[in-house]
Amino acid sequence: MRISKSFSARLSATILLVTSILFITAIMVVSYYSHKLIAEEAIKSASNVLYTTTIDINKTLDRVESTVNNMQWIVEEHLDDTTYLYHITTEIVASNEEIVGSTIAFIPEFFKGKHYFSPYSCNDENDSIIVKQLGNDKYNYFEMEWFDVPFKTKEPHWSNPYFDEGGGQVMMTTYSLPLTDKQGNIFAILTADISLEWLTQKISSLHPYENSFTFLLCKDGYYITGDQPNKTMKYDAETQNKTHNEYEQLGKRMIAGDSGTLQIGDYNAFAVYGPLYNGWSTAIISPYKDVFARLMRMNLIIIVVSSIGLFLLFFACFRTIRKLTQPITEFTVAALNMAKGNFQARLPQIHSQDEMLQLYNSFDYMQKSLTHYVQELRSTTKENERMESELNIARQIQLSMVPTNFPNNEKYDIHATLQPAREVGGDFYDFLVVNDVIFFVIGDVSGKGVPAALVMSITRAAFRFLGGLGLSIDKMIEKINGTLCTRNETNMFVTLFAGKIDLKTGLLSYCNAGHNPLIICHADGNAEYLHAKPNIAVGVFDGIPFNPEQIQLEKGCRLILYTDGVTEAEDRDKKQYGEQRLLDFAQNIEKNESAEELVSNLMTDVKSFTKDAEQNDDITVLTITLKQE
Amino acid sequence: MKTTISQNGKKYNVVLTGRIDTTTAAQFEQDMKPLMDIENGDITIDCADLEYTSSQGLRTFLTLQKKVMTHNGQLVLTNMQAQVKEVFDITGFSNIIKIV
Repeated sequence: MRISKSFSARLSATILLVTSILFITAIMVVSYYSHKLIAEEAIKSASNVLYTTTIDINKTLDRVESTVNNMQWIVEEHLDDTTYLYHITTEIVASNEEIVGSTIAFIPEFFKGKHYFSPYSCNDENDSIIVKQLGNDKYNYFEMEWFDVPFKTKEPHWSNPYFDEGGGQVMMTTYSLPLTDKQGNIFAILTADISLEWLTQKISSLHPYENSFTFLLCKDGYYITGDQPNKTMKYDAETQNKTHNEYEQLGKRMIAGDSGTLQIGDYNAFAVYGPLYNGWSTAIISPYKDVFARLMRMNLIIIVVSSIGLFLLFFACFRTIRKLTQPITEFTVAALNMAKGNFQARLPQIHSQDEMLQLYNSFDYMQKSLTHYVQELRSTTKENERMESELNIARQIQLSMVPTNFPNNEKYDIHATLQPAREVGGDFYDFLVVNDVIFFVIGDVSGKGVPAALVMSITRAAFRFLGGLGLSIDKMIEKINGTLCTRNETNMFVTLFAGKIDLKTGLLSYCNAGHNPLIICHADGNAEYLHAKPNIAVGVFDGIPFNPEQIQLEKGCRLILYTDGVTEAEDRDKKQYGEQRLLDFAQNIEKNESAEELVSNLMTDVKSFTKDAEQNDDITVLTITLKQE
Repeated sequence: MKTTISQNGKKYNVVLTGRIDTTTAAQFEQDMKPLMDIENGDITIDCADLEYTSSQGLRTFLTLQKKVMTHNGQLVLTNMQAQVKEVFDITGFSNIIKIV
């Protein structure tokens, strides 16, 4: 579970990281270019606004100037009618809505006895025009700029803003036109007042951006109007912003009558500026903060939306990956269960046609194979156990076929041993005593194991049966041979040595059918091999004769019969026990040793030769001792 | 145990090397299989390097001998070592199989 979780989380996190980087990069690139573009557009748009407004203001100023200029000759024609002069000023105010007041200020004593004479018209609070004579001792217009400057320069003049206390009672600027007589002497100044309220409104309406700051600057640096209405102040770069040298520069350029743009501060704001018709200059300062406000808002929206999107992406990835890898977790559990031996462990259901299905198929195949294999193993094990058990029973049966009650009386002493190399074997011995005659046989079936054991039991049964019929040894073997040759497809054969001892006479009649020679240990302790005429082993050819032989035994002698398991017993180096060692053993038998002791000693001697080497053939020993009377 | 069979027309030369015992007897029988069904075959088995044969090995020799007789062929064992020859003598197999 932990593995799956961390797997999903890790993968999701990686996807999230990569996507985030892509997103951020995209946003940054888009933002950078948008920024540039918007900045350019802002300057363009501000310039346009400024340009349009400049044209607008210029038109108005031009209209004012034209109005005044056009009245010049009318004034000159009506100098004799002072009443009409009032009519003229009223006409000027009435003809132009921007003009709030107008006067014709005459030089002292132009009209005899009149130091001050200035017919004046202006709008009152009710928008009706009132008329009065302006000049008096309190209102000495000769010292005022609108009279003084044009009088001296003899040029039309736009005054600096001022508060007209005696006249309009408002903040205003005045256009002054000097009137001259034929000699070129100025006799009056014709004026028109413009309320700065109007300009302020005009200028204040220039708001390309929320916090845009617009202002007018007149020729000598007077700050005419801006966003602080009703205040005129001299432009002062130092008081405006000490750190912003750019303002000073802006002021200088504006006073010089230039037009253009200027960056203020470190991308804090930009200014567009341009001159007006009358030498004034106007500028719009727009903070970049406002310019990029929308972009910032857009970026913020993009970031928020992207973040939500990324979070959803992460969640979706996590969910999907976990769902996709869920079967792996279940496979892990199933594999653990299988490792514990539960081959029916439930596998996850796979509905997709992908690698997970392949994994499922492999798992399913493994599960089935394992189940099948383990079942087979169980049944094989069971089968093996059954066979082993049956072989053990067969061993018991086989061992009970050979006599284990050994007679030991005053005439003879018989003992034998049979040690199969496997559970069952092909060696056998048997003896029976009938009317002072000892029949005995020792045999060795070719091969080992079950096939040999089957042939052995036939042979031994035949011997038992034939032994009781009183046949001669050779006839008996011929009959056994006949029995074994019948349908002997596998060519199993038996080497055997059979004989009978007449206890009364000590005569040994025997026949050796391909078997090892027996050893006779004479009463004097001397031992020798009894090399009989070789006959072919039993079961090889049907109907062949077997040659019987006879030898006279003396009292006190022993016969030692054995199978090749004794002489061919091998040690680890494949060295055989051999006939010589067996003969040596036979020559060293104690006189009073019983048959049982003899067999036991021989087995010990063989064992001490082979040591820990595995017994590779059945071992059988049969010994008969004829006792001395 | 190693069996090498070379053929020259109807003449078969077999060279046996090593021991025919419990562990190798089955293989020896398997090795001899191709020789069992030859018509008029003339088989010579060189036993110079045959060190030992168990009764199972003898059984294979016997089977081969019987098959060869059935197919009108000949089987000769040559250069047999003394201890191996003794086994053939004891069991009477030297009377059935030609040993030179």
